[in-house]
Amino acid sequence: MTYLSFIKAEVLVLWRRKQNVFNALLFFLMVVILFPLGVNPSAEFLAPAADGIVWCATLLAVLMATESMFKEDYADGSLEQLIISGLSLPLLMLLKTTAQWLVVLLPLLLMMPLLAEMLYLPDGSFWVLIATLVIGSPSLFLIGAIGAALTVSLKQGAILVMLLILPFYLPVIIFATSAVRAAQLGLPYLGLLAILLAIFLLSLVIAPFMIAIAIKASTN
Amino acid sequence: MNWAWFHKLGSPKWFFHCSRPWALPLFIVGCVSLVVGLIWGLAFAPEDYQQGNSFRIIYIHVPVAMLAQSCYLALGVSGLVYLVWQMKIAPTFIKAVAPIGAVMALMALVSGAIWGKPTWGTWWVWDARLTSVLMLFLLYMGIIALQNSLTDLLLANKAVAVLSVVGLLNLPIIKYSVEWWNTLHQGATFTLTEKPAMPVEMWLPLLFSTIGLYCLVAGLALWRMQTEILAREHRSHWVKEEVMKHGL
Amino acid sequence: MQSSSFLTISDLWIERGERDLCKSLSFDVQSGDVLRILGENGTGKSSLLKVVAGILSPLEGDIFYKGQEVTEKRQILQENTLYLGHSAGVKKALTVEENLRWYCPTSSSNELHSALNTLGLLAFSDSFVSTLSAGQTKRVALSRLWLSKQKLWLLDEPFASLDTEGASILEKRIAQHTALGGAVMLTTHQDLLSLQSRDICLPI
Repeated sequence: MTYLSFIKAEVLVLWRRKQNVFNALLFFLMVVILFPLGVNPSAEFLAPAADGIVWCATLLAVLMATESMFKEDYADGSLEQLIISGLSLPLLMLLKTTAQWLVVLLPLLLMMPLLAEMLYLPDGSFWVLIATLVIGSPSLFLIGAIGAALTVSLKQGAILVMLLILPFYLPVIIFATSAVRAAQLGLPYLGLLAILLAIFLLSLVIAPFMIAIAIKASTN
Repeated sequence: MNWAWFHKLGSPKWFFHCSRPWALPLFIVGCVSLVVGLIWGLAFAPEDYQQGNSFRIIYIHVPVAMLAQSCYLALGVSGLVYLVWQMKIAPTFIKAVAPIGAVMALMALVSGAIWGKPTWGTWWVWDARLTSVLMLFLLYMGIIALQNSLTDLLLANKAVAVLSVVGLLNLPIIKYSVEWWNTLHQGATFTLTEKPAMPVEMWLPLLFSTIGLYCLVAGLALWRMQTEILAREHRSHWVKEEVMKHGL
Repeated sequence: MQSSSFLTISDLWIERGERDLCKSLSFDVQSGDVLRILGENGTGKSSLLKVVAGILSPLEGDIFYKGQEVTEKRQILQENTLYLGHSAGVKKALTVEENLRWYCPTSSSNELHSALNTLGLLAFSDSFVSTLSAGQTKRVALSRLWLSKQKLWLLDEPFASLDTEGASILEKRIAQHTALGGAVMLTTHQDLLSLQSRDICLPI
């Protein structure tokens, strides 16, 4: 096995299992729809809340998408093979998480123009929202992967992963929505984007090693 | 530097025997100090000019909040120690202390709510301090949930250590982000948790109850750890001797 | 420490759950060896292989690969070892050929096809593994034995799910590998028909 053959195999598997990605995106859409339907479909409510709604839905959808990212590999023995492949396990985990991120984020970004219309997102904040999604979502995937790795040996880990990981998502949503609001008010928001970037870099450094430790501990 | 004591500390047997005589005294000292502090503070300390009698709840609220934070710090350090040095005592510490910390956080929330009602008129207020403690409570529950869901002991040890380290790294970020969020939404000049300069008659009982609670929790933690050690090492020789000699 | 021995294990102590699976186990594996690990169910045969491969950690003991200590850092050992566990890491979502290209990216198409041919899988090379039977899936996993360049093989129940024809093909391949200087450690309940092997019986 080489890193390249691993990436190729991962991408192939993601493509063959694209239904999982569709499910995550549909879930995202459903959560967004809950707010106008469950609370208030008027522009007075939705417009100021749009960024928060999008980010709430993103948190939940990413958790759903990452929760089972290791389950199939655990079941068919591929995780074992990764551990003994002689390659760096943290790097393999980082590559796998990156592939997952790309495959979920790109379609999600494509949905954004439509959602911005549906939620009456104020003008001028669309691109900042996109920026927060691009900078903030990698952290969500990296931290979510830690949760997935910790619970990979459990048959039904979905709710547990959410309980474990959602607290760590809060800073991301706080700073992301603050940045969008600041942009709406004409205030500086680059500092907030920088904080999102810092959180991403911190997760980038810590998460692969934590994921590798959790994966090794789970395979036995 | 002599690291022998450091590695010795990791041995459950050594820890058990060393800590045996400390648990009860710590607990008693803690109880006494706490009771002294509480009675003094709740009944005898002078009234606060702004809040009247309702501020007295700080004699409970401040110690438990401090302990909730300290326990989590200790959990995180423990997790790190386990991941780096594989000290056997560390996961035992995590398992023993997590529920204690969770109860402390819960009590901090309840006492904060009790403080809030007469002061603000509502049982809950989304201020930075209370929201941070709520997050801390959720972090504790996550560790407890993970510990209980994983049946394989080795996996549970590692998993809980990973989670507590990740939690510790995130804790400053979460606190900072909650404070930031609070300034955006509240902008209040006087928060629930501001501590004005206190005269001696006020903070001395606070000191008593804080130190008392630390000692009490230390005693509790030692007891819980000792029980956990007996359970985990039940196959080994020294445990059998211990149980035969002293009973459970 | 002989440098001609692939693997030297000394004083290995493995604990799983609440039980000691082996204590103070020492042995070495020379090139050309076939080492068979025997024991009842649950005595730790798979765990021993996993400890050598680096999936599990022993409580105590040292492992040397060609004279180098690898107990802490298994990378050198892992680069030269092929481990096939109970579930051998064959992905159901990929075809047979894609699975093999993942594990053995440096093998040429000819080598791939010849290996699949030997195992009777050539007709299935573009089929998804999810459509194959358990025995065929096992053969896909075993195809790596014809393609990899690694010298040390750790095989956990390689004959499980194989019919007699498959078993004899596998034995021939193991014999070929050891004749060329490789070494094999395997666990199995069955008797080896044509191979000479040294046996280790667990529990020790």
